[in-house]
Amino acid sequence: MTEIAQITPESKKDGDPASVLGQLADLSAQEGYYGLQDANLVLVDVISGLPAATDLNSLLTAWTLLAEQYLAQPTTQSAKAIIAYLRRPELGIPMEDEEFAMLEQQLCFDANAPDAEETAAEIQPDPQATETPSILDTSSIALTRQSLDAHIANMEMLADQAAADGFYGLQDANLLLAEALRETDLEAVGADVVSMLAYWSELNKLYNKQPNEAINAIIAFLRQPTLNIPMGEDEFALLEEQMTIAADGNGPDQAANENRDDLPSAFIPSRADDDTFSEAFSEDFSEALSPVTQELVGLLLLETRQVCSCLENITIGNSSSVLESLQQTSEELERFANAAKTAGFTGLGQICLHINQNLHRFLKQIDLFTAENLELLLEWLAQVQDYLPSFNDRSAAQLIVSGLADEQWPVPMALEELSGILMQIRAESSSVEDQSEAEREQAARSGTATDEDVSLALPGDVNQELLEILLQELPIQTQQFSEAVQRMQTGSSEALEIAQRVAHTLKGSANTVGIKGIAVLTHNLEDILTVCANGQKLPGRTLSNALVNAADCLEAMSEALMGFSPPPDDAKAVLQEILDWANRIDKDGIPDSDTEGNEITATIDSGAGLESVEKPVPAAAPITMMRVPANQIENLFRLSGENIILNSQANETLRRMKKQLQTIQLQFSHLQQLSAELEQLVDLKDLSGQAVTSTGPDFDALEMDQYNELHTASRRLIEAAVDAREMSLDVQKELEQMDEVLDYQQRLMLETQESIMKTRLVSVATISPRLQRALRQTCRLTGKQSDLSLSGEELLIDSDMLHSMVDPLMHLLRNAVDHGIENEADRLQLGKAAQGHISIRFEREGNNILVSCQDDGQGLDFNAIRAAAERRGVLAPDQEASEDDLKRFILRPNFSTRTQSTQTSGRGVGMDVVYFQVVNLGGTLGLHSRRGQGLTVELRMPLPLSRSHALLANAGPYRVAIASKGIKQVLYSGPDDFATSDGQAMLRLEDKAYPVLSLNTLLHVPQNPRQMHTNGVVLLVQNGDDITAVLLDSVTDSLDIVIKNFGYYLKKIPGYLGAAIMGDGLVAPVLDVPELLRTSVAAWNLDTIEAIEIEEPKSLLPTILLVDDSLSQRRALEQLLEDAGFNTISARDGIEAVNLLQQIKPDLVLTDLEMPRMNGIELTAHIRSKAAIKTLPVIMITSRTTQKHRMMAEGAGINFYLVKPVREDELLAKMQMLMEASVS
Amino acid sequence: MEIAGFKMSGLVDTGFPLVPQAETQIESVFGIRIGSLGFLISTAVYCEVLDKVQVSAMPNVHPWISGLLNLRGNLVPVFDLHRVLEEKAADPKKRRLFAIDRGDKAAALWIDSFPEIKNSASLLPLEELPLLAPILQAFVTGAYEQDGQVWLKPQFEDFFKVLGHHQHKTEETVT
Repeated sequence: MTEIAQITPESKKDGDPASVLGQLADLSAQEGYYGLQDANLVLVDVISGLPAATDLNSLLTAWTLLAEQYLAQPTTQSAKAIIAYLRRPELGIPMEDEEFAMLEQQLCFDANAPDAEETAAEIQPDPQATETPSILDTSSIALTRQSLDAHIANMEMLADQAAADGFYGLQDANLLLAEALRETDLEAVGADVVSMLAYWSELNKLYNKQPNEAINAIIAFLRQPTLNIPMGEDEFALLEEQMTIAADGNGPDQAANENRDDLPSAFIPSRADDDTFSEAFSEDFSEALSPVTQELVGLLLLETRQVCSCLENITIGNSSSVLESLQQTSEELERFANAAKTAGFTGLGQICLHINQNLHRFLKQIDLFTAENLELLLEWLAQVQDYLPSFNDRSAAQLIVSGLADEQWPVPMALEELSGILMQIRAESSSVEDQSEAEREQAARSGTATDEDVSLALPGDVNQELLEILLQELPIQTQQFSEAVQRMQTGSSEALEIAQRVAHTLKGSANTVGIKGIAVLTHNLEDILTVCANGQKLPGRTLSNALVNAADCLEAMSEALMGFSPPPDDAKAVLQEILDWANRIDKDGIPDSDTEGNEITATIDSGAGLESVEKPVPAAAPITMMRVPANQIENLFRLSGENIILNSQANETLRRMKKQLQTIQLQFSHLQQLSAELEQLVDLKDLSGQAVTSTGPDFDALEMDQYNELHTASRRLIEAAVDAREMSLDVQKELEQMDEVLDYQQRLMLETQESIMKTRLVSVATISPRLQRALRQTCRLTGKQSDLSLSGEELLIDSDMLHSMVDPLMHLLRNAVDHGIENEADRLQLGKAAQGHISIRFEREGNNILVSCQDDGQGLDFNAIRAAAERRGVLAPDQEASEDDLKRFILRPNFSTRTQSTQTSGRGVGMDVVYFQVVNLGGTLGLHSRRGQGLTVELRMPLPLSRSHALLANAGPYRVAIASKGIKQVLYSGPDDFATSDGQAMLRLEDKAYPVLSLNTLLHVPQNPRQMHTNGVVLLVQNGDDITAVLLDSVTDSLDIVIKNFGYYLKKIPGYLGAAIMGDGLVAPVLDVPELLRTSVAAWNLDTIEAIEIEEPKSLLPTILLVDDSLSQRRALEQLLEDAGFNTISARDGIEAVNLLQQIKPDLVLTDLEMPRMNGIELTAHIRSKAAIKTLPVIMITSRTTQKHRMMAEGAGINFYLVKPVREDELLAKMQMLMEASVS
Repeated sequence: MEIAGFKMSGLVDTGFPLVPQAETQIESVFGIRIGSLGFLISTAVYCEVLDKVQVSAMPNVHPWISGLLNLRGNLVPVFDLHRVLEEKAADPKKRRLFAIDRGDKAAALWIDSFPEIKNSASLLPLEELPLLAPILQAFVTGAYEQDGQVWLKPQFEDFFKVLGHHQHKTEETVT
């Protein structure tokens, strides 16, 4: 607030009223006063159009006064005054009364909102704080249970840590103890055991430093009879041995020590009254503390240097530089004060606050700031820097307070205050050293988020194996965290525990691998959550929101690490928010919940919940993972597909061979028969003419057989025939074996293909966070309330396909919130729950994925659709149109029922876009609307390649394959089975009659005249709820086929699933008979080219030109804007942008400031100089924060100047405003 | 299957140039004839003439889709531009299948005779596009003349996309 008050008189001198107002608007927005921002922007618009004679100065002075008044005391009255000013006739603001009223409402609302939160947090006493002790007293069992659980959780963390360090013995010891505690009866565990447990973690620490001493203590601890650990003497000995080996083997190296320090000791209620153990370590601790304190001092010194560098930026005489630097100094100083306080330097903190008061005084009279003042500040800083390293020295305190009473300060310190602080500092000089280990961590918290803190860069010596494991865990854990944080908002204390645990795990793994960005963020998150958990208090709404943001940011970071998306650009802002919260909580504790019902009551229930959460997860054996380029998998997949086709070709050949063999065998039988006949003729009928040629007179013909060549020949013939038959049987055997082999090969091929397919499959759940995020964002933008539930998340879908579905789904979600869900008041009036509900269901339906998105909003408004259709001239006012017809209209490109002025979202994203995208992917879209109850959109997306059983049939001259999808039964029918009733042929079958259609009719192929009355193959096809009999010309084969998509140009043809390459190398289109039945009614004219209506609706979306030289920045913005429903084009620098602008006229330009070749300012100047694109709105996004850059950019004519990191909502709101302004 | 490859080295297609480049070198282009019309295709695009390939016809599709063919494991649609542009059908004995591009972006169309290789220098650019069938108009980016024959430079990819698109009936039920 003060910043605004300061900036206005300053900038007024610069004479450009529009830029003054623009700045005011920006600052108001930053402070959360959106109403004031709007008011300023309205003024900006008006002022440029005012006649030259108008006394701008007096008008503006009045305005700034009003604005300052409002900011100082944002009340209804000051809001009214602003509105009254805006209504002045000389301004001529083109706004209706309603609009003024709305603005006033906004102003009043802003005025109340931030205040309500702040005062609630500050003034209200903490009811929980007063209640907690009583709970402690009355229900000691609950306390024990809870602290016990805390101990168990802590032990498990210690165990993990020990395992990570390679101390497996210690890990075992921890797990043993945790197990024992979990088993133990509550009553049996005495209070003394619980208090002793406090030292367990210290034992763990000691183990790192002096393993040998610690081992004995640990074993002794475990042997305590009350713990009841079921271990024999030898087992204890074994454990001891293991611990000794581990300690000797690894040794307490530096890294292990550091890791140990990260453990949240805050978990453990530290009580220093037990003497058995504390004495043993007291020596170690005093030694250990010293470096800690030194580190603290070092950090504080670092902070003072930052303050110092801010001051050094000041150029006396340049008021804007002074202003800016002083503001920065003031902020830095505040952080420094906080850090000093938390570190235990309360006195120093007080002094800093005092100095800050002085700074504020300087800021108020910026022109009076002199070189002497600057000198004074620097001198004081030097004193602080001298003081810090030697704070133990009691005389050092004198150093920093001495200068404060100086008359040179605008607000000198009163003497009594001074002596008070001096006393305090002297008292502290010894106490700082005594800060507990737990506080060390918090004190070390830095006040500012740096780029390094959010860096996702991998350390150079990264352990690849660990990284792989992290990359596997990360998405799961970030998602868990996100879920937990969201459940926390509904008041689940269990979720709080989960969130805390996950944050801890994340921190641990990120630290191990060395990814600073995640480690720092989760570290701070964990601290906040730990405090919340210890205080048994759920975070309030504002803190929750911060946590949700952080969870989103974590997910984005995880995605970035996986290489799916660029690193989140708001990470620094998010971390800063979390840091501020963490610091605030360190200082003041958790603010009271500002929503009702969020307090956890300390009941046994929460303890039970805790237990269920902490149940030990059996450590699954880690599987080594490999990352493979996607195209390699694709190639494998294609090859396996080809293999299957080849296999079926071989099978086909085999089948033909078998058939041929059968004919051969038949032939052989025939041959055999013939030779038998021949034999008979030769033998019995004696056709050989034996009698004639008989030579031996001594024997009767019966006494001696006389054989001639004919005999021999016929015998041999018979033998040959038998042999041939034998051989053919052998061949048959071989062929059968080959059949088996091919069969086996086919099974193997299918298995191969399935395994390859599995590598491409991902569960639907992976896109759920993105959808949830999109919903939250839309809700924020539209001000509506809705939740999203997903079912079928476990379904595995081809990853390419899933990702291509994200876009249409996001559109659907936005549409559902924007057009479907009513606002809260309307919903309540309609008797619906205040919060809307959207559910997305994923199902596998044969060869398709069915996605249905259902909302409980108002459904389609057919009257509005009709009106819009008439307005567009596609429907005559008196023309009949069924609801089906009307629904088809909303799928037309750029069809919107909303007129421009009432369009709340303004993104112009309609169902047409979804339709276009779905059709492009080869899918279909169905709409089911229930008036007042909601709309269900069904998307059917074909799977890219799949196998099916099919019948090969002829339809007239065409050969088609009929997929088994939807076919209930295949049967042969005779002419008697048909009857005709009402001109419709019916098939009678077991007392049921089915309507009959022929496939030829369905395919618009000339009818075979004989067909209807002869025997034929009939398919019973499920068509919705009915069964239709489909008559086929003929079926030639029944086989397994691999269905391929039609490819790039044909995409999806109604009635077809795709095509298959057959064994003979030819292609057979694969029919989808149920779809044919559904679409046969539709009159789509194949012959006219008018039927082609392919207008890409996406091009009708607002187009944004992104100009940035950083690829990651461009990608991040592209994703954000495309998710928000904009079409984006991007350029790497000004020159490229100028070239693009010659071809395309975008709706808005987002540009960076510094770029090679042509920078953002030059680009803006170029745009403003061209008549055609002169009015193009330009938003500059830059990391340059100085007034100089801002003025220069504004001079060039940009509309908004945003400083990185930019809040997404803010950017979208600004873009929205500019685009609406440029339309009207 | 005999395949006559026509791949020739040409300029690498770098996408749509931001600044129109001056034509500094003489470029060869393929010229194909469909009825009375001539079309040019950059030699940078992989093209081939397919011989003895059997086209599998499909029922219930646009009449200008002759069917599909299997080109080395890829499904390639065959377009009959004669039908689209209402040109006299080609002599069945002389007509050839001409495939443009390869892989899954391949498409084939019937042409009246073997393609010709043209020298871009011998083609005279026309100031205005001649009057064309409305469906074609949107996809022709330039026209040239040589010996009285007009040669059009179409964007085949977009043209084929439009030709391959089938209007879908949306499934709708209201309760």
